[in-house]
Amino acid sequence: MTESTDFNLSHFIESHQDKLLESWMKGLLPEWRRKHPQSVDEDTLRRQSRQLLDGLAKLLAGQLTESWEPPLDHSITLLLRNLSSARVKQGYRAADIAHYLVTLKRVLIHALLQENLTGDLSRFGDLLATVEIATDSLTTLIYEIYAETRERIIAQQSLSLLELSTPVVRLWDRVVMVPLVGVIDTARARQVTERLLESIAKFEATVAIIDVTGVPILDTSVAGHLMKTIAAAQMLGARVVMTGISPDGAQTLVKLGVNFSEIPTRATLRAGVAEALLLVGKRILSIKEEQ
Amino acid sequence: MPIFAHVPIMQEFHIAEARRAALLMALDLGLKRTEAYYVATAVSELATNLFLHAGGGDIQLSVVARSNRLGIEVIAQDEGPGIADVALALSDGFTTSNGLGCGLPGAQRLMDEMEIDSEVGRGTRILARKWGPVLPQDREPTSSYQVVEN
Repeated sequence: MTESTDFNLSHFIESHQDKLLESWMKGLLPEWRRKHPQSVDEDTLRRQSRQLLDGLAKLLAGQLTESWEPPLDHSITLLLRNLSSARVKQGYRAADIAHYLVTLKRVLIHALLQENLTGDLSRFGDLLATVEIATDSLTTLIYEIYAETRERIIAQQSLSLLELSTPVVRLWDRVVMVPLVGVIDTARARQVTERLLESIAKFEATVAIIDVTGVPILDTSVAGHLMKTIAAAQMLGARVVMTGISPDGAQTLVKLGVNFSEIPTRATLRAGVAEALLLVGKRILSIKEEQ
Repeated sequence: MPIFAHVPIMQEFHIAEARRAALLMALDLGLKRTEAYYVATAVSELATNLFLHAGGGDIQLSVVARSNRLGIEVIAQDEGPGIADVALALSDGFTTSNGLGCGLPGAQRLMDEMEIDSEVGRGTRILARKWGPVLPQDREPTSSYQVVEN
């Protein structure tokens, strides 16, 4: 039996570290092992968790107010950052990561209740509140880090998609082609224009085929982007042939009032290639005809 | 079949999300492919306007019923600067953003009906509908859809 007024949370965590760590791992590991059997490295996890308990003991030496947040440069923040971002990459879900600290909170509160503290009950309430504030704000932090890491991964993925999706192909001498696939937003349109102009200059192309078969919808913003690209290509002296407008797309463009009539268009890429070759004075012949 | 979709338009890629939702809903309703393409394009135009002119807004898609037809209803709503002259905004070639100036009038032509409700400084609400094929007599639209007055 200890008087609650003499009770020191920080010392308590330090002196009971092994026991706390044991119950923490016992509460956590079965679930993590079940969900992610490949990636639970128990030794590392124990080491990190021990460091976290150390950090927590130091934190709790001071008084925590309700608006307390872990300082950005504190060792515990860095520790959680490493732990969380590593788990995201291993495919842990947000709930799994939150579970880590929720388990710690349960273990701490449970251990406190077993101490059989007597005396001032409001002091005991303060102790519980302190544990709650600390673990809750650490949970918020770990959640934030999780979201941040995810967002960074998504941003990287969309960047790599952007790089993947705009090849400019040299079809023949002085003929280049861009197959457009997917959503044409401002970033894509800018990139298409840049790549196309580069290739026109590099290959001294006089004809550029823009194929829109893979563009899901031709609305005024896509049409506007295309027109700017075409105008820029024409300024470099290349003629543009547009191919792959679907029947639905053609009808929609007419209803919208978008006018592509000054640009040679062909329904299929095949017809577009024939037109482009004609523009550079070439023709595809079957071998028999030639003989 | 989804009978309601709500897509907040905050970033450019949300436009594609709204457009995909509209295409799916229109095809599910039994609209012909070209008509579904019209609806998707109109939604794309309205969503683009929300993004470019209003600093974001909401697209709501729902299935509505009128006598023996089902239709798709699009509501584009924002709290942006509003449209000062609706008639001018609906005329071809008028643009405030260096665009082609046929988004809004184009959307009106692509849909069966469109109403614009706008107040300068308060925002804009555009409601547009496209009606699907006439249902056979024994398949009256059920009460699960919002019924629109004639």
